[in-house]
Amino acid sequence: MNVQFKKGVLELCVLVVLCRRDYYGYELVHTISENIDIAEGTIYPLLRRLTKEEYFTTYLRESEEGPSRKYYQITEKGQTYKEDLLLEWTHFVSSVNNIIQKEEVA
Amino acid sequence: MNKEQFLNQLKRSLSGVPETEKKDILYDYEEHFRSGMENGQKEEEIARSLGNPRVLGKSYHIESLLDESRGGRRAANVLRALFASLSLGFFNVIITVPVFAGLLAGLIGLWAGAVSLAVTGVAVILAVILQPLLPAFITLGGLSIPFLIFASIGISALGLLSLIGMWKLSQWFFKIAGKYVQFNLRIIKKQEARA
Repeated sequence: MNVQFKKGVLELCVLVVLCRRDYYGYELVHTISENIDIAEGTIYPLLRRLTKEEYFTTYLRESEEGPSRKYYQITEKGQTYKEDLLLEWTHFVSSVNNIIQKEEVA
Repeated sequence: MNKEQFLNQLKRSLSGVPETEKKDILYDYEEHFRSGMENGQKEEEIARSLGNPRVLGKSYHIESLLDESRGGRRAANVLRALFASLSLGFFNVIITVPVFAGLLAGLIGLWAGAVSLAVTGVAVILAVILQPLLPAFITLGGLSIPFLIFASIGISALGLLSLIGMWKLSQWFFKIAGKYVQFNLRIIKKQEARA
């Protein structure tokens, strides 16, 4: 799949995953890379940008193993943004599907 | 590539990014390595799935530059607001202040006129009353007393009327001046809001 395209979709995926609960970096990266084949490192710049844009906040929490982990939590602004992106995405996918189906019939 | 090599390459490709930010960025990857190893992954394995550290460094670099340009735009906006209020200030100094000063001077002159009319009226009445007591100091100039009484009543009434008129005129003048100041403040505020 095209890299730029993947990056755009990645943003939506991260937002959707963090709507469920708070994740720490590694956990979040794994949840996504399980399903989408992407260089895992690219999720951190994305997380950083979205945090700067106030879609997420971060906090440190001790793990059972000892050292603390940085957790990401979605903000209200992030939730609104996710809803917008999701709507765009659904609309886009259905439009693409429409084209594909019409072409296949023809 | 092991953890050390990965982090070193990333660090090198982040040159130019502010130090505190660099630390923050590296922390994320250090934590990622730590969590991965707790999950039984090898350093090399983790480094490989993270991707090329130089490419990652570049993507941070781009974002840091974007931030700077955003900050730069903010500064330009503040400058523009400042310039707008300065040019407003310039306009005020060149046009508004002289006009208002002229109007104020006119107002003061009219006040002086109204006050002197009222004072004259009162003075004439006093002159008529006091003349018999102080004939050495006051002369009536050969005018008849009834004429002077009526004249003084007329002049006093005229003075009183113009004082009332001036009071109204001044209220109106200062109300307009206040509105103009508020209008200035609104423009400046609007500029700031836009910045």
